[in-house]
Amino acid sequence: MSLTADSPVHSPSTSSEDFAAFLDAELDSASDASPHPVGEEEEIEEEAEAEKDDEGDDTNDYDLDFERIKRCKVEILENLSEVETTTSQGVDIQISGASSDKDVCVHPGVIGGLCIRCGLKMDDESGVAFSYIHKNLRLANDEIARLRDKDLKNLLRHKKLYLVLDLDHTLLNSSRFLDITIEEGYLKGSRDDLPDALKSSLYRLDSMHMMTKLRPFVHTFLNEASNLFEMYIYTMGERAYALQMAKLLDPGDVYFNSRVIAQGDCTQRHQKGLDIVLGQESAVLILDDTEAVWGKHKENLILMERYHFFASSCHQFGFSSKSLSELKTDESESDGALATVLKVLQRIHNSFFDTEHSASLVDRDVRQVLKIVKKEVLKGCKVVFTRVFPTQFQGENHHLWKMAEQLGATCSTELDPSVTHVVSLDAGTEKSRWAVQMGKFLVHPRWIEAANYLWKKQPEESYSVSNSKDH
Amino acid sequence: MFFHIVLERNMQLHPRHFGRDLRDKLVSKLMKDVEGTCSGRHGFIVAITGIESVGKGLIRDGTGFVTFPVKYQCVVFRPFKGEILEAVVSMVNKMGFFAEAGPVQIFVSNHLIPDDMEFQSGDVPNYTTSDGSVKIQKDSEVRLKIIGTRVDATEIFCIGTIKDDFLGVISDPGATS
Repeated sequence: MSLTADSPVHSPSTSSEDFAAFLDAELDSASDASPHPVGEEEEIEEEAEAEKDDEGDDTNDYDLDFERIKRCKVEILENLSEVETTTSQGVDIQISGASSDKDVCVHPGVIGGLCIRCGLKMDDESGVAFSYIHKNLRLANDEIARLRDKDLKNLLRHKKLYLVLDLDHTLLNSSRFLDITIEEGYLKGSRDDLPDALKSSLYRLDSMHMMTKLRPFVHTFLNEASNLFEMYIYTMGERAYALQMAKLLDPGDVYFNSRVIAQGDCTQRHQKGLDIVLGQESAVLILDDTEAVWGKHKENLILMERYHFFASSCHQFGFSSKSLSELKTDESESDGALATVLKVLQRIHNSFFDTEHSASLVDRDVRQVLKIVKKEVLKGCKVVFTRVFPTQFQGENHHLWKMAEQLGATCSTELDPSVTHVVSLDAGTEKSRWAVQMGKFLVHPRWIEAANYLWKKQPEESYSVSNSKDH
Repeated sequence: MFFHIVLERNMQLHPRHFGRDLRDKLVSKLMKDVEGTCSGRHGFIVAITGIESVGKGLIRDGTGFVTFPVKYQCVVFRPFKGEILEAVVSMVNKMGFFAEAGPVQIFVSNHLIPDDMEFQSGDVPNYTTSDGSVKIQKDSEVRLKIIGTRVDATEIFCIGTIKDDFLGVISDPGATS
């Protein structure tokens, strides 16, 4: 192997030049040897190998006479084989040329160990896993960027944006059979005995030992939203659960179309990331009830009021009051959180595609639009807080302060005539009394939270501050 | 590509089957065990066409089960690089589409779909030419060329292309309905 592959290419270039003089002189003896080439061949091969090993110092130490003869033979053999090697080198070049063609393929992604573009076997684990599309799919960052870019243009042509939806407490509420309380026991009864409203939205999943209640209005919500958005499901639940829920929400498989991302697909534990959503971040809106999981994408997030239907879900979040199921009621269909947020989404969508915008569609950022729309909610309000923050606490850093500012209100620590609302936990403080005297609104901090969830300034009367704590 | 080959397998048979129908039982068990499976070497075993020979049974100590070496003829299906296949599209997404040729799953990425075909999202995601004359969606039949295969013990996965002459849709369910 070494003889055919290496010696014709490398060794003659050094040894043949070194021995050019000897060769001329010894040609006769070489031609003497030539009549018996067949018998000599093995010897020659051996010698060629030896020569290769000692390329550097062979002139000095060897028995030169002996060497010369051998070398001549090798030389002749090599000269003969040169014709062959040039052709085989040609082949080599072609092969390397072909492989360099393949090198042009940047291997944009790997699926099942094969490059998606050239079909080459690839075993490296680079890139981002998109296991929700195919269990063995990984894409390189460049490819993701390319796909996002292409997809965004396509989507904007259809006047759509991306919408990422959480499942639990946002679109539905689930409970294990085990956790169903006695008061909720009627839910486990036969379907015919259920109230009409529940018949269509309560599901019993015997295979998963679970009951699932869809949030009121969810079907209308999905239907309307699908005209404005390309929708993803993104849940911290397990894949089997997520798919089952997707089936309940989308029996016709028209809304999500395998865009269901579950826990196992996330690249970071306990965090949801948009890195595995094939959508440009500047065009993604997120609906979720948990802010903490969206560490890097808070600006895309529309926070939802949690939907607790089952008692177990209430307990989980530390509410001791009766659950909706125990009270045999439900969120309002026309006025609930989903109906509210749908209006917000429509507003953002309208504003994003507003033709009066100066920036081109691709450069627009839905996060900015979201901010602007949010700022409308408490626009014109000037808020002063009293007895809300712990003493010694920088008011500016409190989440209520920030929330009020995000909603477009101005916050202040000083009382002056321009103040419109005094937010207080206690009607007995000086500022509270001032508010009552001056005819300003005195409201509970829940007023701000409610405005944040409902995207609307709430009637102040419903959030009055009780004086009871003083007495 | 399909091949008709002879394979061998050791079949374990429960003693309750020993009797007149022993041979029939053996064959039906063989079919149940083997048809539809995939071996990395031969590909998918599509159907057993005949029994070549049944060797001498060997009684297992303790259990009473008997092991028969059975030689059988069968049709196997194994895709090769460069082969042209006809396949049914099973899923379309913005990455490309998945198609199935019998038990073999093939992925055609959007790099290997002709450049004039664009992805269209919606209720039925599809790839459509700019003039709308050709459409690839779920259940379309396509002719494609295999450019890479990965054969595992239980599964064969392929990468295909339709970016070549005479490849692409061969029937379009959307056009007829």
